[in-house]
Parts: sequence; C-alpha cells; structure tokens
Amino acid sequence: MSGCGWTLAEVRPVQAGKGKSDELSLYTWTNYVDPPLVEAFTTQTGIRVTYDIFNSNEIMLATFQAGKGSAYSILYPSDYKVEEMIELGFLSELDHTRIDGLSNILPQFQNSAYDPGNRHSIPISWGTTGLIYDADRLNPGPEDWSFLWENLDKLERRITLLDDVREVMGATLRSLGHSYNSTNPQQIKQAYERLVTLKPAVASFNTDAWKEQLLAGDLVLAMVYSADAVRLTKDNPDRNLKYVIPKSGTSLWSDTIVMPKTAPNPEAAYAWINYMLQPSVAAQITQRQYFATPNQAAYDQLPAPLRNNTSLFPPDEILANSERISPIDPKILALYERYWTLLTSS
Amino acid sequence: MAGQSPPLSKQPSLDTEKVLPKWLEPLFLLAPAGIWLGLLLVIPTLLIFELSLVPNIRPGQVVNPSGLDNYALIFDDIYQKVVLRSLSFAVSTTFFCLLLGFPVAYWIALIVSKRWQNLVLLGFVLPLWTSSLLRSYAWITILRPTGVVNSVITLLSSMTHLTLPPLDILNREPAVLIGMTYSLLPYMVLILYASLEKLDRRLLEAAADLGATPVQTFLKVTVPQTLPGIAAGSLLVFITCLGDFVNPELLGGASSMTVARLIYNQFLGATRNWGFGSALSMILILAVSIAIALLIKYGDAVPKK
Repeated sequence: MSGCGWTLAEVRPVQAGKGKSDELSLYTWTNYVDPPLVEAFTTQTGIRVTYDIFNSNEIMLATFQAGKGSAYSILYPSDYKVEEMIELGFLSELDHTRIDGLSNILPQFQNSAYDPGNRHSIPISWGTTGLIYDADRLNPGPEDWSFLWENLDKLERRITLLDDVREVMGATLRSLGHSYNSTNPQQIKQAYERLVTLKPAVASFNTDAWKEQLLAGDLVLAMVYSADAVRLTKDNPDRNLKYVIPKSGTSLWSDTIVMPKTAPNPEAAYAWINYMLQPSVAAQITQRQYFATPNQAAYDQLPAPLRNNTSLFPPDEILANSERISPIDPKILALYERYWTLLTSS
Repeated sequence: MAGQSPPLSKQPSLDTEKVLPKWLEPLFLLAPAGIWLGLLLVIPTLLIFELSLVPNIRPGQVVNPSGLDNYALIFDDIYQKVVLRSLSFAVSTTFFCLLLGFPVAYWIALIVSKRWQNLVLLGFVLPLWTSSLLRSYAWITILRPTGVVNSVITLLSSMTHLTLPPLDILNREPAVLIGMTYSLLPYMVLILYASLEKLDRRLLEAAADLGATPVQTFLKVTVPQTLPGIAAGSLLVFITCLGDFVNPELLGGASSMTVARLIYNQFLGATRNWGFGSALSMILILAVSIAIALLIKYGDAVPKK
C-alpha cells in the first residue's frame, strides 16, 4: 500500500504562525460549553480560549480530517472514538508528569479498555443511553427496550432514535438478550429485522433535535444520552419528563479530553487538562451541565440531591448489566452499516 | 437550420486587436473565471472522481484507485430505491410547480395591469430573500403534530362538534413535496413569466377572430409559444430538486432517504464511506449535467413549428 497514491484527509501540523502561547483552541460538544468556567480559566492562566462545537463524534473526526484538525489543541472525543483516533495515529501521548489530579479519577476510568492507563485521553464525564418520555402523554412509561415493540400502536411517528448505528443496533440486540457489541451475523440480522418492525414508530433518527419536539408534544419518547435527558428534565421542572435506564441493560459511555499530535499549543492544552481535573471545576460541570463526573474528589463535593440522582449516577446493578460500546472488526462493522443503510433508506 | 442565418458581416476591428495578438484576447478575458473554475470546480470534481474509484476508503487511508466497485454498489436494490425516490420527488415537484406556477405567471404577465406587474412579481419572489433553511423550518412549525395546521383543525373540530382527523404528514413524503414545491415555485413563476411576457398577443386575437374557443387558443397558441419557458422552468426545478438536501432532511424524517442525504451520510453521517459517497456524487453530477444539456438545447430554442 505504501508509495502509491496519496493519503485521504491527512492531518499535518501547521508550521507557520505556530500557536500564540496565550491562545487555546478547543473543539467540543455543544453541551460542554460553559462560559463562566472558560472565563475563570482565562483569569487564572491568562490564556484566551476559542472554541468550535460539534454534535457527533463522526462530524468531529470528519472536520478534524478535512483540514481543520491542526487548528485545535484540545478535542473531546467519546471512548470508542478515542480508540479509533489512537489507531489512526492522531493523538499525542500525554506526559503524566505534567498532569495533576489524575489520581482523583475513579479506578475503573483510569484503566478503560479503549485507552488503558489514560495514555492518550483523560475522562471528563460519563453517562448512560436510555429513554426519556413525557409521563403526561405516555402512561405507563417504559421500563425496558421491549416497551417500544409492545406499544407500537401508541407510538406511531412519536419517537426518535439516536442517529448512531452502534447505539440503535446495540439497544435492539440487547432487547433480544444479546450483547450490545454482538459480532454474530445471525444476531445482527435478527436485530435488523426487529428494527424494521419499529420503523413506523420512528419520526426521525436524531441526537439533538428531539429536545424541542418532545417539549412541544410532537414526540412522546426519545432514545437519548443521560446527560441530555437529566439537563432537559432539570430545565423544565413544570413538565413531567422522566428518564429511564432500560432494565435489560444499556450502553455506558465516557467523553474524554485528548490532545492531537498536531496541537498548535501543547502548553495551553496541559493547562486546560489540569484545570478540568480540579475537583471544584469538575463538580461545577456536573452541577451546571449534568454530566456524571468520573472524578471522586469532585463527586464528594456535589450536593446530596445530585449525588443521589439515579439517572445521573445509576445504581451498581444497572451498571453491572450495561456495556461499553467497543470497536469491532471492520468486516462486522460493515455488516452493521449495511443493515443501518437498509433501515434508514427503506 | 443551414442558410437560415446569413453570414455575419465583418465587424469593424477593435482597438485592442492592434495591441494584443488575436489568440491572446479571449485568453485574457477568460483567464480569471477559468482559473476560478479550474481550481474550485474542475480539480475538486476530478478528485471526487478519483476517490470514487477506491472501494471502501475511509479517512486516513491511502488513495489507490482500483476499480468500479463503488459504482456497482449503486445497482444494489436498496440504493436503486433511493435513486428512484429522489427522481420521483424531483418529477412530482416539477409537476406541482408547473401546475401552480403557470396560472400565476399567466395572470401576472397577461392580466395584471402594467403598473402593478413589477410589484406583484416582487411580492411573489419576496420569500427568496430569506434563507432556504428558514423556510423549511417554517414548514416544520406549520405541519408538525402540534403545529399551526393542527391547531386550526382542533379549533374547527371544537367549534363544529365534528371530529376532524388531525393532519399527520411531517416526517413523511408529502411534507417533503410541500417543502420542495414551496421552495422552487418562485423560480418556475419567474421563468414562465419571462416567457409569457414575450407572447405575441396578435396571435391570440387572430385565433379568437378565426373562431377558436379560449381553451383551444390556450392549448394551440399560448402553450406552444411558451414551451421553451416551460422546458426551462421544469428543468431548473428538476435539477434543483435532485440535489436538494435541506427539505428531505428537515421534513422527511426517517422515511425519505434521497440521494443527497445518502451522500451526506457517506461523508458525515453514521455510516461513512467516502469512496461510495464520491461515486454517488459523480452519478448525481452526471444526471444534473444531462439535465443542463437538455436545458441548453430546448430551454431557449426558437419555438418549433
């Protein structure tokens, strides 16, 4: 393969005008932007922060590769994307001697399968995938994934699913009693066939737009990430919105901070990592943005109602039942994608 | 056609001819636009073509053209279905635009007094001044289950004590058709208006004098004379629909995958395959090119006898 052709979407470091030392450029999720924290960072360190936002891992990586990659010193990929980016050789190895407070991270997040020993990534938040529903319009509500299929007649074009192959296929696999990460072609086919029967209930596949539709009453239920669900519930106390983690198990995810090899300003990137690891800062993120923190010291600082919020910090038996989405063999992934295309195109 | 146009009389030579050699003049005039098009259209299109020859390529891999596998993939049943759906959206939208646009253009061109003509036309094109995204979002507000239309239906039901069924078309194909037709109607009207404006009214009077009914006059005199306008308007609407991404994406929900959405998915969506996306893009470019060729051939031609 070497020697011939050119590499598609290669990311090269920018040499000219290489990062001003007092500027940090971030590329992060829509929901992570928290102006007070950014201002406090600038006051503490004198580093000015600019950021761009994305709403899916795929768009983040595509933008990174399509040429904007070398502009950022910090990115926020999720777990399985970290693994993919490590394999692509985009992420620089973090120098742990320059990082303070890593020991506050809970042990299970320090040695995750996607990045053992946090060599390339620092976990910043975690959560689950589940169902949010409007209890005023849907009663009784779901307890498990199977609810969707059992109530097809009530749900016609009244639900949305995440715009994500692995999450949607995984949840369906789970509802059939298989693993979220099944690699058995028979099981994957079975899951696809089950999803086809759910299609009349699906208004659209989306990861963000459901919020407004659920509030307006166009939807009664949506498959969502816990952080979004908890936040929407808190922001609309007058509405009877409920978040449910399906009984049979779901996926666990983490979002992380990484520094690309092409980072124009590694100094500022380390300053940001250290800042985000401060327990008080991590606690503020949980309090304002409703992301569960993997930082034990930050967790201890949280007010009791948040610590006891089971949507945010689910009990151990639910966690034991759940899986992390793990990268799978490209051949099997192609099978997933083929069924996804069949599902979304029909 | 031969002999119809007499050879042009020789133009008096321009001053520039003395300064620049004859072959340099067009080069000089065309170079800025040529470089622009070359860098931003021709080269990118060639790159897309090269990518389309690499099966299963993902970002970060070496581009190594090796065959037509991506094009073969398009003949897969499911993608055929997507292509057909795109075509049927484009054909139906063209049909509805023509159906709705012709009376409007006819009215503006032939019935409205000259004094008001421009104002009426302006009023009709006014929606084009807002972003197409905004207009699609407006249709979401109108068509959604809790939207304007359904509020009115609910109100009517409560007033008349009839049970009117709610209109539930958002995230389905009719919503996409409504959005596309609304977006493109002004273009159709503008082009038809330009064509109807030039209509030779003496022929209409002559037809009436010779005993033709209004319907006969319309079908045998008006329509043939405006045929180039109809062709131009239809092809323009058809081409734009074929590549439309916004309306199917926002109004079509989970039920209306089109070629444009499929291409988006190959590059930025949940299932990425830049090679296949490029092959789809090439096919779309080809289809649109054919339509444009037809537009040039028939759009502005002299009316056929």
